[in-house]
Amino acid sequence: MEAKQKLRRFTRRTEFYIFLVLVVMGIVIQSMSGGQLFEVNSIVDIARAMTIMGMFALMNLMVVISGGFDLSFPTLASLAYSAATTICLTQGWAQESAWIAFLLSGAIGLVLGMVNGFIISRFKLNTMIVTLGTQTLFLGISMGLLQLSEITSTLPLGIRYFGEASLFEVYSSTGMRSTMPVAFVFFIVLAVIVWFVLKYTMFGRALYAIGGNEISAERAGFNVKKTKFWLYAIVGLVAGLIGMLRVAMVRQAIPKGLNGWDLEVIPAVILGGASIYGGEGSVFGTIVAVTLITVISNSLLLIGIDSYWQDFFNGLVILAGVTISAVQAKRRSI
Amino acid sequence: MSEYLLEMKNISKSFSGVQALDHVNFAVRPGKVMCLAGENGCGKSTLVKIISGVYTRDEGEVIFEGKKITKITPAEATRLGIQVIYQDLSIFPNLTVRENLAINSEITANRRFVNQKRMDATAKEALSKIGHKIDLEAKMGDLSVADKQLIAICRALLFNAKLIIMDEPTTALTKKEVEALFKTVRKLRDKGIAIMFISHKTEEIFEIADDIAIMRNGKNVYLGTTADITPKEFTYYMTGRELTDKHFVPKNISKDPILEVKNLTLESNYKDISFDLRKGEILGITGLLGSGRTELALSLFGLLKPDKGDILLNGKKVKITSPIMAQKLHIGYVPEDRLTEGLCLHQPIADNITLSSLKRLSNKLGLIKQKDILEDANIWVDKFSIATDDACKHASTLSGGNQQKIVLSKWLSNDLDILILNGPTVGVDVGAKQDIHDLVHELANQGLAVIIISDDLAEVVANCNRVIVMKDGMIVGQMESDEITNQAILDIIR
Repeated sequence: MEAKQKLRRFTRRTEFYIFLVLVVMGIVIQSMSGGQLFEVNSIVDIARAMTIMGMFALMNLMVVISGGFDLSFPTLASLAYSAATTICLTQGWAQESAWIAFLLSGAIGLVLGMVNGFIISRFKLNTMIVTLGTQTLFLGISMGLLQLSEITSTLPLGIRYFGEASLFEVYSSTGMRSTMPVAFVFFIVLAVIVWFVLKYTMFGRALYAIGGNEISAERAGFNVKKTKFWLYAIVGLVAGLIGMLRVAMVRQAIPKGLNGWDLEVIPAVILGGASIYGGEGSVFGTIVAVTLITVISNSLLLIGIDSYWQDFFNGLVILAGVTISAVQAKRRSI
Repeated sequence: MSEYLLEMKNISKSFSGVQALDHVNFAVRPGKVMCLAGENGCGKSTLVKIISGVYTRDEGEVIFEGKKITKITPAEATRLGIQVIYQDLSIFPNLTVRENLAINSEITANRRFVNQKRMDATAKEALSKIGHKIDLEAKMGDLSVADKQLIAICRALLFNAKLIIMDEPTTALTKKEVEALFKTVRKLRDKGIAIMFISHKTEEIFEIADDIAIMRNGKNVYLGTTADITPKEFTYYMTGRELTDKHFVPKNISKDPILEVKNLTLESNYKDISFDLRKGEILGITGLLGSGRTELALSLFGLLKPDKGDILLNGKKVKITSPIMAQKLHIGYVPEDRLTEGLCLHQPIADNITLSSLKRLSNKLGLIKQKDILEDANIWVDKFSIATDDACKHASTLSGGNQQKIVLSKWLSNDLDILILNGPTVGVDVGAKQDIHDLVHELANQGLAVIIISDDLAEVVANCNRVIVMKDGMIVGQMESDEITNQAILDIIR
């Protein structure tokens, strides 16, 4: 009886529908591409392709649940990893092991995140406007103030080795090789941590409460200011780490390397059932949505559709996600 | 120990030079219901915020359970057993009932991790306090207002509340729900909990209150038991003026009807509605919620298309298909929910008043003449004595009654023949209510045809020279002038 009720509640959620869409898409693409989608190597490729986006999405999920938006994470992360890599390069660090690079990038990310958190919690400003401002500010710091340059072939060896480390290799029936990066483990770990934090810690419940009704949250005794400050600080810290992970994976540190990611990652979170008005959202939904978007963009080539169409389909997916979210919020308010 | 649970003496508070509270005395007895009444802006909420620790008083003494309290913070208030249930109920619509009930206790206990079992136990304990059953897994936002309120009350009880302050709890409730709420309030009172009930509805106050405190302009004008005061005196204390129920007597009714409705039907809403309306009349349409009264009004204004039947204006058949069309035919409609349907709260008062007469106020090129807008608006500000010193201020700066006046003037500035008022004084305090009624009388006597749709029987009785009673979508009774009484209408409805 109770299990039945739980199932019924689940089928009413947006995540469930996105999941259905993913399954249907999977079957369609599988048949259209002549069975290429479910080849082991293509699954590993999708896993690799969604690692970084998925991690950013998980952090943004927490922000969206709290009723905010963080548009600054792409330039925040690129400033953090570019500066960290440059420091390693000039100091001759991270030649054998990459940990110092991660430490630096995370620390810079934390400081930048604290800037976001301070402005947002202290002055109670609209998060979208604040992070739009800091997005440009961070880019300005890396390009203008520090004049950080692209680091490609000179990337410290420790970082390079870290990026090349793989869990396992697989071959498709036609002999194509794909490797599962170690980074994927971090993605899974982060997903578990975010899931746990959201569900079982007061910090996580505070995010839901603030997103649901900020005034009520304050009256209930949540320290809204503190919660918001630490939310953006932690998002900054983790964004710095994710950024460095990407540097390792793509073997280059480009100061503008993540520009525009905000407009891919945040819609993915919304598509995954998080409400644009805050208070709703789950790790499961976010991961399903990120998978869906990755499958779509990876598979268009597989079934022979021009890559220019990718933007078109991404646009459709974004619109669908935001529309579903808005319609559901409206239905609830009636 | 004194006979009072909470005693406040000579409380004063001012905000940037404006005296919000002026030496207010106030006391609550344990196990009694105390009603704090007063018109909007009289200082009620300031007083509550001082009790709950949100504001700090400038001077005065607070004694709780015989002990002087020097400084109250919100946490201290909770510890003392003071709980406030705000008008918005402070709930989380996105969370489950369980979490809504338990989360405050989790915070107070300074927990870092959430334990579903513990929350479940807390939630069940909370519900058991008033013996209520609600699905704990349900989402708070899906519950009715009455249920949400009960949850809020249960949550307050978890903190061993000795004093529960309820801020206008009946505003969004139906009559039945109000009765249920009062039952709960009495139950709590009998357990020895003091209830402070903030309201401006005379009837409700006299039904539930043991003690009454009335405030006006930041001063405490009455403090005593309900038995020692009559409703009439009560209104006088609240408004500072003698209010008399003037029965409306139409002075010049036109011979021919301006509006005739014949067999109007909208399946599953209303059926076979026929009536007529003359200039100078105030026609009341009353009935319970769901009787089809509002839908009928919406049809007359072109918002709901009827399936069958005719509407005749000045003897000519018309089809009203949209509000624009209704306006062209000189029909005006003032909706029930003045805040969401009739006003742009964050726009200047002047713009709101002239919103539907912009055509008249623009030049040949279709450009709006700003100067005329202000002039036009000021005429109505004077005529309705809207309480503002500047028509360029936002509509949100006004009290509920004054906002209603804006909505009225918006329509009236447009040369109307027929004015439909749906619940014209819902959420308006007595003083402003009287102003609105007087105004409607005057307008009718100037030749306007008015329809008042309301479930406030007193309002219908005092203001209408003819009443139509609706039930389940049909007209079940009609009465005229002297036949119209509270009892007569009730007999038909029940």
